[in-house]
Amino acid sequence: MSRAPADVHQLDPRAFREEVHSFEFWFQSVTGYLAGTCFGQHEGIPDEPLEPAERERLVTVLCNYCVGETAALEGASGLIAIAPDRLSKVFLATQVADEGRHLEVLLNRLAQLGVAEPEQEIERRASRSLLQFKRRLLSLVAGRDWEAALLAQNVILEAMEFTVFQHHARGADPRTRDVLQGIVKDERRHIGFGENELGRRIQAAPHIRARLREVKNELDHLVLETFEETLRQLGLAASDRPELGRHYLETVARLGFE
Amino acid sequence: MADFLSMYSIQHWLESCPQGYLAGTEYGHGPDEEEPALLLEDPLLREQAIATTVQLITGERCALAASSGLINAAPDEPSKRFLATQTLDEARHVEIFTQRLLDLGVPRNQIEDTIRELANPNLVRFAEVLLEKVDKKDFVAGVVGQNIVLEGMAFSVFEMMYAGMRDVNPKFAHTLSGTIADERRHVGFGENRIGSLIAQHPEKKPEIERMQKEMSYWMLATFADSFRNTPAREELQRARAALSGYGAPRAVWQGADLNALEPEEMERLLADTVLKEFKIRLSRIGLEYQTPDRP
Repeated sequence: MSRAPADVHQLDPRAFREEVHSFEFWFQSVTGYLAGTCFGQHEGIPDEPLEPAERERLVTVLCNYCVGETAALEGASGLIAIAPDRLSKVFLATQVADEGRHLEVLLNRLAQLGVAEPEQEIERRASRSLLQFKRRLLSLVAGRDWEAALLAQNVILEAMEFTVFQHHARGADPRTRDVLQGIVKDERRHIGFGENELGRRIQAAPHIRARLREVKNELDHLVLETFEETLRQLGLAASDRPELGRHYLETVARLGFE
Repeated sequence: MADFLSMYSIQHWLESCPQGYLAGTEYGHGPDEEEPALLLEDPLLREQAIATTVQLITGERCALAASSGLINAAPDEPSKRFLATQTLDEARHVEIFTQRLLDLGVPRNQIEDTIRELANPNLVRFAEVLLEKVDKKDFVAGVVGQNIVLEGMAFSVFEMMYAGMRDVNPKFAHTLSGTIADERRHVGFGENRIGSLIAQHPEKKPEIERMQKEMSYWMLATFADSFRNTPAREELQRARAALSGYGAPRAVWQGADLNALEPEEMERLLADTVLKEFKIRLSRIGLEYQTPDRP
């Protein structure tokens, strides 16, 4: 059996989906950018010392990233049971492993920063808005609402993380940047799946759009509140914060959710 | 607990699995390895290979559903992360065995119908017993059912198949060797993680032992169907002999030459091996093995 062509975009839509949602594709991708890393960090990355206040803010931010990744891990694993076809189940399995890896590498970074009891710190520092988002996401999964849960997980949550991680990575210390850049590569794939799957469903049944718009509107304010809290911790200038909100909304708007 | 669970981390999985024994493979085998021509050309052998592969897919789909479902029932974060790797392993198994159906010439648009038509109903019942526990978010029962019973069965089945395939179908043997490595890890997690939880919840033992007994019955019924109800057995034996080649080496497993065994003898050997392993593993975690009824 020959492998798909190097440029997957040459494939017809069905073959394209079969290729990019497969374990095999995931395997070939991640063995590339994860090669030579240990807990998401390349060997030899310098450990840049942080001022105490800076370290404290970073610990808070990473704790909240752990809340988000745990939500994603539980969301993605729950979605496997309600996924409508084999390909989606296999793709979500790769996403489950990705989210588990994200959680692990973030916990490792916290340990490097001297956090001895990460579970306690996460509980102490977790953003109220993010916890509320997590609860809502998992209720959509438990309610077996495939489209709404996929929107919440693979579009809204992933777009939120993608946006924040990209911005954070630009100004982060070298080790945190290395970890975040690896995570961002995975998030791109997850958003792609969400866009592809929901886009096809909306095209086939346009009435779904209105229902999903309601879900998005409900979750948007939680996302933007979470942004505000996280970006304050990152020490980002007040003038930069609206730009991030815009970037998130643009990412989501590509599906037609204005 | 923290120390042993570090052996089940995602980092460890990355180093052993995709960067280890799966490096350089495509769908679990070498890029240039193919199904033997004789297998593809002989209708009986091909039909049997398809039927066998369908059962593997059925089992792996159950394992995928169970391991992903157990993530949200897991009581601690390292267990969730291990189950994330197991979820991906099982998905990979579904994919590579589905790919094998394609390699055996089953048209892509007939895959689901083929699976539906050929999946053994006893194996489906086996899966249902386990998934009922997973749906109830019963972590202890779920891990025993999944990581001791299902994975224990799969481990022995794959080892036996590997022994039979090593010289006649290196491509499929290579595929199996990766899954064997995965199942070993899954069984290890079950044995190591569950013992302490069972000690903390002794009231769960009778229910879990009943589940084991029922799953074991459906497993034996599946084996019976697979080995006893093979059409045109003599013709199949002749075709298999041709595949093996004159003077081919013995296919030894558990001290027996599989090429020399009658189907009923193979069934008994497999059943006895699996049940013996169940007994050992269950006693290690504080459970009493329940002898299943014989189908």
